[in-house]
Amino acid sequence: MNRRRFLAGSAASAGIGLPALARVAEPFRLGLTPVFLDNDAVVIERLRSALSQALGEPVDLIQRRTYQEITASLLDGSVDAAWICGYPFLQHGDSLSLLGVPVWRGRPLYQSYLIVRHDDAALRLEDLRGDVHAFSDPDSNSGYLVTASDIARLGETPERFFSRSIFTYGHRNVVRAVAGGLTRSGSVDGYVWETLARVEPSLTERTRVVTQSEWLGFPPFAARADRATDPLVRQFGAALRGLDASAAGRDALRQLFLDRVQHGDPGLFDGIAARMAEVPRR
Amino acid sequence: MRLRPGTWPVTVRVAVATAVLMVLLGLAASQQVLATLGRLQDARLQEYARLHVEGLAVALGPFALHRDVWEVYDTLDRARTNASGERILFTVVADDRGLVLAATHPERAPVDTAIDAFAAEAMPVGEVTAAHGRSVVRVMAPLFVQGRDVGRIVTELDVSDLVAQRRTAALALLAGNALATLILVLAGYFVMARMLKPVELLAHHMGEAGGTPHPIPERAIPRSDSVLARLLRNFNAMAGAIDARAEAERRLAERERFVSLGRLSSSLAHEINNPLGGLLNATDTIRSYADRPEVVRQSAELIDRGLRHLRDVSRVILEENRIDRSGRALSRADFEDLRLLFEPETTRRGQRLYWRIDGGEAAFGGHPSAPVRQIALNLLLNASSAAPEGGSVALGVRTERGWLRLAVADDGPGLSGAARARLMSEAPLEPGGGVGLRLVRDLVAMLGGRVDCTRADCRTEIIVRIPAGGQPPC
Repeated sequence: MNRRRFLAGSAASAGIGLPALARVAEPFRLGLTPVFLDNDAVVIERLRSALSQALGEPVDLIQRRTYQEITASLLDGSVDAAWICGYPFLQHGDSLSLLGVPVWRGRPLYQSYLIVRHDDAALRLEDLRGDVHAFSDPDSNSGYLVTASDIARLGETPERFFSRSIFTYGHRNVVRAVAGGLTRSGSVDGYVWETLARVEPSLTERTRVVTQSEWLGFPPFAARADRATDPLVRQFGAALRGLDASAAGRDALRQLFLDRVQHGDPGLFDGIAARMAEVPRR
Repeated sequence: MRLRPGTWPVTVRVAVATAVLMVLLGLAASQQVLATLGRLQDARLQEYARLHVEGLAVALGPFALHRDVWEVYDTLDRARTNASGERILFTVVADDRGLVLAATHPERAPVDTAIDAFAAEAMPVGEVTAAHGRSVVRVMAPLFVQGRDVGRIVTELDVSDLVAQRRTAALALLAGNALATLILVLAGYFVMARMLKPVELLAHHMGEAGGTPHPIPERAIPRSDSVLARLLRNFNAMAGAIDARAEAERRLAERERFVSLGRLSSSLAHEINNPLGGLLNATDTIRSYADRPEVVRQSAELIDRGLRHLRDVSRVILEENRIDRSGRALSRADFEDLRLLFEPETTRRGQRLYWRIDGGEAAFGGHPSAPVRQIALNLLLNASSAAPEGGSVALGVRTERGWLRLAVADDGPGLSGAARARLMSEAPLEPGGGVGLRLVRDLVAMLGGRVDCTRADCRTEIIVRIPAGGQPPC
């Protein structure tokens, strides 16, 4: 355990008042899940720079392999805020508070895509029965929950419906798995697939979208609910929502193919909640 | 038969032998070079395979243990993308049950299929080789995590460059050896031709086509090689000796004719002397009875007959003694001449002479006169000498299908060993012996004929057969 984690852990265990003093010299820590294009160091650096400038404090971007790790870090205070998926946000709705929701193509919404190889004849989910399928993450809405709930509607579970399902822990990895032929199909974040189609078309051209889900709440920025009133957290929320006001912020948003970050309404994620209700809790 | 190497010129044989030896040497050397190249290539290939497989094995072991399909694929895919060169074509990883976890090309090895098809022809890392000539080799290695066997990895390596390198080396060696062999063969040919030039010169002057040896001109004898020069000069001395011997034999044969006449001289002297007494008596008669015409006429006729006989005897002696009779064809008159010459000898010795000549002028015309006369005379003189006083000598001449057949028989004791050797073989003449029979043999050989000798009923018969025109009929 490094010094930062030790301090964070101490803060989490000691309550809210004391950590304000201890964090004075610490940078603000933002956790990122693989929903983000985690392979692009330039995008990450632009975002870090823009957020630091908007916050007036240094911002550290913390990346972990799985959604669960980032969610746990957020809950235990290892990070101050995180860009997470709507699914874990709802799973821990009582403990988390929305700081903002990205707006993509004019709306704070996105879709889940079911993809196959470009030369695959599948037209619907049922055509993929008995084959190998790639999920992104078991805590991802677009990369797991949507397809799992669709399968649940067929009275099946992913384990029985597919001969084998794997988790790639990254939406880009799902596209790679399908494009490379490792799996016949995959469940991927529509925003990520569309962005990849712009920045890495050679990859997405080897895949084809079979079905698209309904529009669902875009993965939000969240902080622990009991720290939502923390001035720094509140300042960070304001900085997020004001990114489009600065040139650096707009540049970072452009890199992310996002319009802006707006206030979030928990009702935005009702669609995800409905799908959660259809899938037996694991 | 020029296909038989033994008939080839020495220079060609040496060049061919050099070529064969060079080819064998080239094959052995090339084999060594290729074997060494193969060992170096295999060592390099095994080192490469070891680094690749062991590196992947370390990275993939935990993933194979957990059967994490994605991580195995991700690791293989990144290793393939980052690999330098194109040697690694394909890699597949299976779990401990032999089921595929992932491969760099999943379409070739789908998840959860058996790896056996790939593992069947795969070699362990330490045994991988490019020697079999295939452009792709498979390498297999186990995956271990803390001593536990958790799976297998099979990799296909592209060794086409190594195979091509080996093929190129083989072709280069082949071309190099062929060129070296050609150069050495040509050089060997010219060197041997130069070295063996005196030997060929010697062979040429020895009379390759059955001719007689003739001396090598002094200017053609190499001065640089004293041994060969001595050899060639010795040959010249030998050739001179052979020439001298041949000349001596020729002169001996020439003299033999005079010898024959010499042997007949006493008989011929009687032949001349006997009529002379009668002739002198006739002249006395004419002188005494000159007034009696009938006596003179009878004496004159007697003198005429005697002189005619003397003329015939003289003519035959002159004819026999004449040096140049070549070119004249044989005729019955030749045998009449021989009888005139020879018969007094049998008369002197009280021997009976049987003389039978069958065939006309046309039959004898195809044979030369001089050598046939010499052959017959020598054989008759030999027969008369062999036959006892009061014995018999016979000559029979006839033609058989173009061959002239002379048979001379006597009732003597038969040919001695030395005489038979002179007549029937090429054995050197022993000192003191006559050359008549050897001359018969030489003349018959010159005319392409043959000599046979038989003895039956206390009679010795020598038969000579001579083909028409001096050449045996086909």
